[in-house]
Amino acid sequence: MTGNTRDPRKTFGVAVSEIAENREEIVILSADSGKSSGFKEFSQKHPDRYFEFGIMEQGVTGIASGLATTGKIPVFCAIAPFVTCRNYEMFRNDLGYMRQNVKIVGRNGGFTYSDLGATHHSLEDFAITRMIPGTVVLAPQDPGEIRGAVKAMLEHKGPVYMRIGNQPVEELWEERPFRIGEGRILREGTDLALISTGTITANVLKAACELEKRGRSVMVIGMPTVEPVDQAVIKEAAEKTGRIMTVEEHYREGGLGTAVAEACSQVCPVPVKRHGIPREYATSGSYEELLAYYRLDTDGIVQEAEAFLNS
Amino acid sequence: MDSERVRELERTAQKCRRNVLRMVEASGHGHLGGAFSAIDLVTALYFSKMRIQPENPKWENRDRFILSAGHKCMAQYAVLAERGYFPKEILDTYGSLKSRIPGHPDMHKLPGIEANTGALGHGLSIAVGMALGLKSAGNGARVYVMMGDGELAEGSNWEAVAAAAHHGLDNLVLFLDYNGLQISGRVENIMNFMPAGPKFEAFGWNVREIDGNDMGQIAAVLEEIPVQNGRPTLVIAHTVKGKGLPFLENQAACHYWTPDREELERAIREVESGLWASGGEHERKEWENENDR
Repeated sequence: MTGNTRDPRKTFGVAVSEIAENREEIVILSADSGKSSGFKEFSQKHPDRYFEFGIMEQGVTGIASGLATTGKIPVFCAIAPFVTCRNYEMFRNDLGYMRQNVKIVGRNGGFTYSDLGATHHSLEDFAITRMIPGTVVLAPQDPGEIRGAVKAMLEHKGPVYMRIGNQPVEELWEERPFRIGEGRILREGTDLALISTGTITANVLKAACELEKRGRSVMVIGMPTVEPVDQAVIKEAAEKTGRIMTVEEHYREGGLGTAVAEACSQVCPVPVKRHGIPREYATSGSYEELLAYYRLDTDGIVQEAEAFLNS
Repeated sequence: MDSERVRELERTAQKCRRNVLRMVEASGHGHLGGAFSAIDLVTALYFSKMRIQPENPKWENRDRFILSAGHKCMAQYAVLAERGYFPKEILDTYGSLKSRIPGHPDMHKLPGIEANTGALGHGLSIAVGMALGLKSAGNGARVYVMMGDGELAEGSNWEAVAAAAHHGLDNLVLFLDYNGLQISGRVENIMNFMPAGPKFEAFGWNVREIDGNDMGQIAAVLEEIPVQNGRPTLVIAHTVKGKGLPFLENQAACHYWTPDREELERAIREVESGLWASGGEHERKEWENENDR
């Protein structure tokens, strides 16, 4: 951890724009959302590859499908629930069923739009997008990984959903190659494996340090690909520690925790605790307050892990 | 278009109606009403208007046809088979396990299908994306879409209607198969979007209105396209549900038709007699040879 933070939207927008500079087939679609997604400069520099549609996420998802049939690679970024829930059938049929090479990016994901309330939260996006056959689901964990995931997403042929937030994101490690479907052991341990995805991994790493001070040996696995989930690294974690706790800024049901539990049940059944947000319309407040309220801050994760270890 | 060419298209449409009945015969049921109201237009597009290469269905410069009302797919299957996209024997698999011609079209299963439609209100958005992609690449191909009248109630369509006009997609043509009936009854009693023409004009579309079961009128409007530069075009095609089978015409019940043997045979007789009436003995022999009957 370097302590440096970056704006995830700008990081994302710059990363896509840099690659698009040399790849004419990449086009940016906006539902009055492009400029807040880091594409202001791109829209000015490449107006022929920046398409504005106004606030119509269902329409834009279908339009993205049609554009992809002509060889374009559309990137459509907007507030996460509007590009996953509102347009779900278009995602399912026009992108998934039609196997289109379209990249949907949900920004302000999780409850990073904290005080704007539940309409702007996205706590089921992993669950619903990973149910669309053939769709890759990504949640990069730090700024370097956003850049890596963007590159991998644009190289991958097929529909991808990626979640990013809007709160400043901490740099956790030196930038390294991103491979879809690969989880990574971030620290070794033997008592418990914490598996997390997205930017909450920063808190998980801090929690692991705190647990170590308390005499607990905790493995941490970063899992920036929710679908397809890395079964091999889950198996390794299960075998080495015998118990797994997943941590995510998502409902406990349907997301990473469920994917890990499903994998575990197949490859190495061990107890799995899914730590996330209870299935309710989350309350509002500052982001830090919400993290503490739902026990996703460092202290909360430590306490949840201790409770699991003592159970 | 000369009158002989129009007659020829009418005969082809009648053959395509017979192809639809072949599918109904195979499965015992199907969305016949809409297939028969739409089939004259679909026939005319594939046989007289669209720039296509059936032997090379992914040809980059091909015109595209999107059947937004995917449940009318028997019409498209019938026409694609008649046009040589695939062997007619495939029509006999309609309704069977793993058929390449499912009850709603699948682009990965059959050549000539451009989109996986069936859920209503999707096709026009997909077509807008295609038209935008082709236009921005300088490709002169056109995109034709067919939508059902009941389908107009899907709000997503109106997003696409606005986007098509805003982006000046004059390479996009939408046909509204206005047969006036949907599954529960008359469209204007269920959710009235009529008159549709002024609504589309207000969005910035060209609008034409024809009898969509009159091949002469269909041919004339197709010759007129593109109607005006910088605008997408709507053709409101007034049609008759179940057109070609007088005992079923204009009945909501034929939306999804499950005939008994007698009804099916009657339908076959009526379609075939229509074909002979328009074509005569030569057509009959040709037809029987083709269909090995």
